[in-house]
Amino acid sequence: MLQRRTLFGAGAGLLAAPSLARAQGDQIQIAGVYSLSGTFANVGDLLNKGTQWAFEHYGTGAGKRINYTLLDDQGDPGRAVRRVQEAMGQGVKHIVGCTLSSIALPVAKEVHARGGVYIHMAGADEATGSECNRASFRWPGASYTAVNATLRPFIERNPNAKRWYTITGQYVFGDSLLSNLKTVLQETGRQHVGNSYHALSEREYSGYITAAIAAQPDVLAVCNFGNQTLDVVRQAVSFGMKRNVKIVVPWSTGLDQFQAWGPDICEGVYFGANYWHGVDAPGNRVLQEVVRAKTNAQTNYLQACGWAVAQMMVEGLNKAGTADVPAVIGALEGLSYQGPTGTEVIRAGDHQVIKDYYLMLGKARSAMRDPADFAEVLAGTKAFQTPEQAGCRMS
Amino acid sequence: MSVETEGVRPLGIGAIGVVIALVALPVILPSVTLASEVVVFSVAALSCIFLLGQVGLLSFGQGLFFGIGAYVSAVLLKEHGVGTLPAIAAGSVVACLGAALLGLLAVRRQGVYFVMLTLAFAQMGYFAMLALRDVTGGENGLTGVPRPPLIAGFGALANSGAVYALLATLAFLAYLFVRRVADSPFGSVLRAIRQNEARAEALGYDIRRFKTAAFALAGLLAGLAGGMHTIFLGFAPPNVIELEMSERLVIMAIIGGTGAPVAAFFGAGFYIVMADVLSALWPRWLMLIGFLLIAIVLFLRGGLWGGIAAALRWARDRRHG
Repeated sequence: MLQRRTLFGAGAGLLAAPSLARAQGDQIQIAGVYSLSGTFANVGDLLNKGTQWAFEHYGTGAGKRINYTLLDDQGDPGRAVRRVQEAMGQGVKHIVGCTLSSIALPVAKEVHARGGVYIHMAGADEATGSECNRASFRWPGASYTAVNATLRPFIERNPNAKRWYTITGQYVFGDSLLSNLKTVLQETGRQHVGNSYHALSEREYSGYITAAIAAQPDVLAVCNFGNQTLDVVRQAVSFGMKRNVKIVVPWSTGLDQFQAWGPDICEGVYFGANYWHGVDAPGNRVLQEVVRAKTNAQTNYLQACGWAVAQMMVEGLNKAGTADVPAVIGALEGLSYQGPTGTEVIRAGDHQVIKDYYLMLGKARSAMRDPADFAEVLAGTKAFQTPEQAGCRMS
Repeated sequence: MSVETEGVRPLGIGAIGVVIALVALPVILPSVTLASEVVVFSVAALSCIFLLGQVGLLSFGQGLFFGIGAYVSAVLLKEHGVGTLPAIAAGSVVACLGAALLGLLAVRRQGVYFVMLTLAFAQMGYFAMLALRDVTGGENGLTGVPRPPLIAGFGALANSGAVYALLATLAFLAYLFVRRVADSPFGSVLRAIRQNEARAEALGYDIRRFKTAAFALAGLLAGLAGGMHTIFLGFAPPNVIELEMSERLVIMAIIGGTGAPVAAFFGAGFYIVMADVLSALWPRWLMLIGFLLIAIVLFLRGGLWGGIAAALRWARDRRHG
C-alpha cells in the first residue's frame, strides 16, 4: 500500500502528512489527536499547545528525537479513527490526546488493535473501567473522582449543609456526576431534595433555579461541565442564591472558567478541579515555567492536560529505554513521576493515573494576590475506584 | 443534466466512468482510508440526490437512516457474530422499513412542513440513541465492532485494501440501483410527481404511495451507507445519527448536484477532501464550506456535476460546429 502511494500518489501523500513521511530511525514519531477545527477547536488548540510544549521541552524519548505530528479529528469520532488508522498505517505507534470520550474510546480500541500505546484525557468512567485495555492510559480523574474528592471534604467543612439540590445536564456525563453525588449523599446521611435536568441545547436556566430556591436547599450542586456550567452558576448568583445557599461545582476546568466568571461570581463558590496552577510541586514548577515563557500567563487546565499526557509518554519511553510498545506499556504500569499535581502514579490494574483532585473555594476580589489568584485550594484528594469497582478487565 | 436525461443514455458509459473513478480513488488520494470515507459518503449523498433529484423531496432526515444502518450493523456484528454482508444488508433493510414507516407520516405534508417533519424525526432518532444507551453505547458510541469475513466464513477483510474493495463494490451497486430505478416506469412516475404533482395525481397515480416508496428506497441507501460506515471504522460513533449528519449529507448532495446519481461521488469527494485540506489551513473551515455552498446555490445550481456536464456539452457543441 505504501509502495503504491509512493509510486502514484507521493505528492498528495506528502502534502497530507509531511512529518510522517520524513520519519527516520533516530526519531520517534508521536501523534496527537486533537480537535483543531470544528466545534471543539478552542479546546483542542489549548490541549495541543500543552502537548507540543512538553515535547519541545523534553526533546527526546528513549534517546530518540521526538517528532510530533498533530492529527486534527475535527471533533468527529469517525474522522479521528480514520486519521489514526492512516498514521498507524505509516508506522506511528505512540499516540496521545483527546478529551472527548466519544473520540477517545474508539481511538483507544483502534490503537490497541493495531499494537500501539495511547495516553488520553477522556472523562468517561468506562475508559479505565469496562472499556479499559492494555494499550490505553488516562491522566485526569473522571466523574467518580470529581464527586468524591469535592463532596467529601466539602461535607467535612460544612457539617450543617444537609439539604442538597442538583441541576444536571441530561446526558451521560451529567448523569454520571449525579449518580455518584447521590451515592455520596446517601453514605454521608445528607438529603437530596430535588434535581432539575436540562437539555444540552438550553442556555436559560431561571426556571430550574427558581425550582431550586423553592426547595430551600442548603447546597446547590451543578452536575455538568463547560459553558452550561458557566451559565448556570452565573444565573444562580444573579438570583441571589449565594446569600443563603452554598454552590458546589464538582467538575470545573479551573482557571479559564474562573476568568470567564470573574471574582464577583467565584467568591464563596466551591469548585472541583483536576489541576490548579498554584499548586507547589516540582512537576508543576517546570510546567509553569514553560507556559509562562510561551504565553506570559498562568497555566490553565487544558494546557496542563495536554502537557501531562505528553510527559507520561516521555517518562514511559525513558524508563523503557526503547520505543518498543510492549516495553513502554510495561514501563508505564506502576510508574511514579513528578507530574503537574505532584507525585503521580500510574496504576497498573486499570492504567489510571492516581493524582490529586482539588476542592477549591473562590476568593473575594480583595483577597486575590494576582489576577489569576481566583481560589484557594482547600483539599487535594486521591479518590479513585479500585479497578475491580470500575469493572476493568485488562485485555 | 438530470436523472431523467441521464437515464436515456446507455447505462454502460456512466457505469464505466464510475468504475474507473472507484479504482483510481485510492491511488490519487493520500490514503486508502480517505478513499473509503469518500465512497461511504457517496452512497449516503446518493440517498439525498435520489430523493431531491427524482421526487423533489428535501429530507433532513437521511442522517437518521444512516444512523439506523450503522447501529443495526454494529449490533449484529458485535453481539450476534453475523457476517459482514448480512449485517450490512440487515442494517439497510431496517433503515428502509424505518423510512417507510416515517415516510407514511412525512409525505402527508409538502414543502417546508415535510422538511420540518424530517428534521423532527432526525432529532428524535438522536435522543432515542441516547435513551437506548445499553444497546447503542450512548454518547460513547458502540466500540469494538469486528470485521468478520463477508459471509459464512468466506471473504476475509484482512486489510484496508480489502475493506475498500468491498465498499467500492457496494457503492457501485448502489449507483446501478439508482440508475435502474430512474430508468424504470416507477422512476418515470416519480419524475412526473416532481414536475407537477397535481397533474400526476389527476392522471390517477397514488402520490403518497409513490412518495413513501421513494422515501423508503432513499432510507435503504442511507442505511446501506451507515452499514458501510460501521465496517469502515470498526465502530458506530454517536454522530452518525446526529442532526449534523443529515445536514452534511444534504450539503454534499447540493455541492455535487442533484441532477444525476454520479453527482454523489463529486459531492462527497469534494466535501471530504476539502474538509481535510481546509481544516489544515483554518480551524473554522466549516465557514468556507458555507461560502462554497452559497456560491454553488447562486452561480452553479446544478452543482459540480452540473458544471462539468455543461462544460462537456459546450465542448461537444463546439466540436460539432
